[in-house]
Amino acid sequence: MSSQAPTPRTRVRRLPELGVYERERMHAILDEALYCHLAWVGDDGDPRIIPTIHARVGDTVYVHGSSASSTLRAIKQGLPVAIAVTIVDGIRFARSMFEHSMNYRTVIVYGHAEEVTDREELAGVFDVITDQVAPGRSADARRPTDVELKQTTFVKVTLDECSAKVSEGFPEEPDEDLALDVWAGILPLRTVPGEPIPDPLLRAGTSAPGYVADYRRPGA
Amino acid sequence: MSTAPSERTTVHRLPERADHDPATIHAVLDEALTCTVSWVDADGEPRALPTIQARIDDTLYLHGSRGARAWKAAAAGTELCVVATVVDELVLARSQFHHSMNYRSVVLFGRARELTDLDELHAGARAITNHVLPGRELDAREPDDAEWRQTLILAMPIDEASAKVRTGPPGDDERDLSLDVWAGTLPLRTVVGPAVPAPDLRASIDLPSYIPPSGEELPRP
Repeated sequence: MSSQAPTPRTRVRRLPELGVYERERMHAILDEALYCHLAWVGDDGDPRIIPTIHARVGDTVYVHGSSASSTLRAIKQGLPVAIAVTIVDGIRFARSMFEHSMNYRTVIVYGHAEEVTDREELAGVFDVITDQVAPGRSADARRPTDVELKQTTFVKVTLDECSAKVSEGFPEEPDEDLALDVWAGILPLRTVPGEPIPDPLLRAGTSAPGYVADYRRPGA
Repeated sequence: MSTAPSERTTVHRLPERADHDPATIHAVLDEALTCTVSWVDADGEPRALPTIQARIDDTLYLHGSRGARAWKAAAAGTELCVVATVVDELVLARSQFHHSMNYRSVVLFGRARELTDLDELHAGARAITNHVLPGRELDAREPDDAEWRQTLILAMPIDEASAKVRTGPPGDDERDLSLDVWAGTLPLRTVVGPAVPAPDLRASIDLPSYIPPSGEELPRP
């Protein structure tokens, strides 16, 4: 398993035993997360952050940038960005408020965003982003036209500076709290699909494919 | 709170999705289990950190560790930008181009102050515990003096915020409607699994009623 040497800002200093630097584990968290939070510095020097969708190919994270279009000029010019993904696996109930926590997996990526301009690469990103929404979907959905490719901005960040933090297990509490008359334990959480809602304009006789009816996240 | 957008809370991209209604903004901040806090570091670069939040009226409470550098900067009054996101449905269009999500997100700008008043600290701690799961704040032991010294709770006014909301079916082009591709939305929910008691839980303690049965949605404040 290849490992990523932490830099001063990706080294997990708070609870360092939770730091994870193996690439394969970071990849798995990035793949399972449905969306990311993308941060950058605005023209005024203040922070900006938005939700957007991402997908990973090898050690590159692609981020759909059109949703940040008003400031994307700055991002496209190679300004630094931070990308955070978070998956909450459960709630950790301790007897004290102080020791309450979550079981979670997060990845933070720092890097310089570069716009995807190569047409072939851009078309490939459409496939992986579509599969990031619903694994298997790209083969069914119509691929983008030249006009659509021109209307869409993706930026990419290489996973050169990133770290994961993984918190799991039961609360650890001081002995005096173990005697309290308070329930303690883990409440697992997961994201589950409901019943697919067909488009009102759907042609009669078109049934939901298996990747919709039996939807699950990669790795979940 | 103000409902008029500032320059930076004006939604420029797809402005029809913008929502400055406080009720919408409050609901997203309550419903999202976590948020991500961003700030600009001393080196001028953006930083981001996921954390847990809670809301009382027009104040957002953020919980951090006193030792963490992120929270030192935040407590010192560094300009923050906080985002919270709830994904309601996946939007599967006939074209890859029109794939999307039905989501509700809030972006909040401002500075935070550290809570130092003991009453406010207690209220903040209860609000954060309530945000995790309503009802729990009545059960768990409140922090003692030593724990308060290690805990950092920040308060941020919710007065420069905007929500962005997408709802409804895919927005396919007319020419794609005849394609032989299923299209629609897929709702997503966060549900709880079976509660797992701590190995050191005393045998006489039953599962509290505020913890829902397996398969039910996680209750929100």
